[in-house]
Amino acid sequence: MGDGGNVVGTAAEIAELVSRVALGDRAAFSVLYERTSGKLFAICLRILKDRAEAEDALQEVYVRIWRRAGGYRDGQYSAMSWLIAIARNHSIDRLRARQPLSDDIDAAGTIPDSAPNPEASAVAAGEMGRIESCLGELPPQRAEAVMAAYVEGYSYAELAERFAIPLNTMRTWLHRSLKSLRECLEHSGLRS
Amino acid sequence: MPVEGTQTGDERGDLAAEYALGVLDLAGRLEAQRRIAIDPEFATEVASWEETLHPMAEACGEETPPPHLRRAVEERLFGASARQGGFWHSLGAWRSMALACLALLVVSAGLNARSYLLQEEVGARLIVSLEPQGGEVRFLALYEPGRSEFRLSQVSGSPGAGRDFELWLVEGGNPPVSLGVLPKQGVAEIDLPPLLARRVKEGATLAISDEPAGGSPTGKVTGPVVAAGSARPI
Repeated sequence: MGDGGNVVGTAAEIAELVSRVALGDRAAFSVLYERTSGKLFAICLRILKDRAEAEDALQEVYVRIWRRAGGYRDGQYSAMSWLIAIARNHSIDRLRARQPLSDDIDAAGTIPDSAPNPEASAVAAGEMGRIESCLGELPPQRAEAVMAAYVEGYSYAELAERFAIPLNTMRTWLHRSLKSLRECLEHSGLRS
Repeated sequence: MPVEGTQTGDERGDLAAEYALGVLDLAGRLEAQRRIAIDPEFATEVASWEETLHPMAEACGEETPPPHLRRAVEERLFGASARQGGFWHSLGAWRSMALACLALLVVSAGLNARSYLLQEEVGARLIVSLEPQGGEVRFLALYEPGRSEFRLSQVSGSPGAGRDFELWLVEGGNPPVSLGVLPKQGVAEIDLPPLLARRVKEGATLAISDEPAGGSPTGKVTGPVVAAGSARPI
């Protein structure tokens, strides 16, 4: 794990790299790419489920990181969450622009690793551990829906179909689940 | 008010959460993105949800992208079109204003104006337009190689109470070097020691960070970068 070349650095290192990228520091950009591209590529791939498209998306993601680094404010939110949001938002935008998708839902389910229940593969450590234990307090199907939405980029309509419930019920599930999740995380001290 | 008053705080919070989770359809996402652009409170709510949820991304693991991707990104950002691309894209737009400010700076320099004008090509004089990085802080810097001196003129923005602006030189992968704390107002003159002066050349980046009064306590940038720009010959 430690010598893969794509090891995500500590939060402080990543924040410093982003701040230097904001100053137009190409060397810092190169190191940031080395440290984070493995993680961001996995995110794009998981959402887009198509290697060529994920590669295109990752290119665009790093172009945006370079151009928007000036907008990142250290101290408010973690740099990693800022980077992940850029990768997820771009991938999901691409996914939604590919409409209509309803026919592809079953096909997507046949791709290895994309079945609901991805939390099983997650590392039960640190922040993931905390969010996992909070997900564990939700009814299992709802926890699964939250994870499937976040990790696979499923829309309300796709989730409703996968879980065979009406769309509005899915909406209510997720609203309540997210509120409970946030409260639980606040209690467990993740958020100050 | 940028956002329609009909929306309750709850609905707004729900939309922010839905956007961060990623479940909206294309139309919903476009609407959320429009709000992010015009409503800072909504944008903060989205960022807060993104922060809350991001540990779930661990579940994706890691996957090394093919090596050609990195080259493609760098080519796109710094390749043949690097001069007009990305970070410096808006520099050109500021150039005419920069030159206008420069004229003012030279005039306001009073007695020194004469020597500026007479001092022909000792080495290239450099100008740096320090553009706002999210706020409104804008400075213009002129580097006079013959004097190893930066003269900075404040165009807009000033530090808050108990804060100071600090000027940094950034080159390549090296940590930023402090060039000093800027006075609250007016034109600053910053003398560079010879070792530093040699490192100021075309393409060098200047940045201004917001620091505690008296400057960074650690010698490293501690506050947000409020303005930055790269040196160009004039």
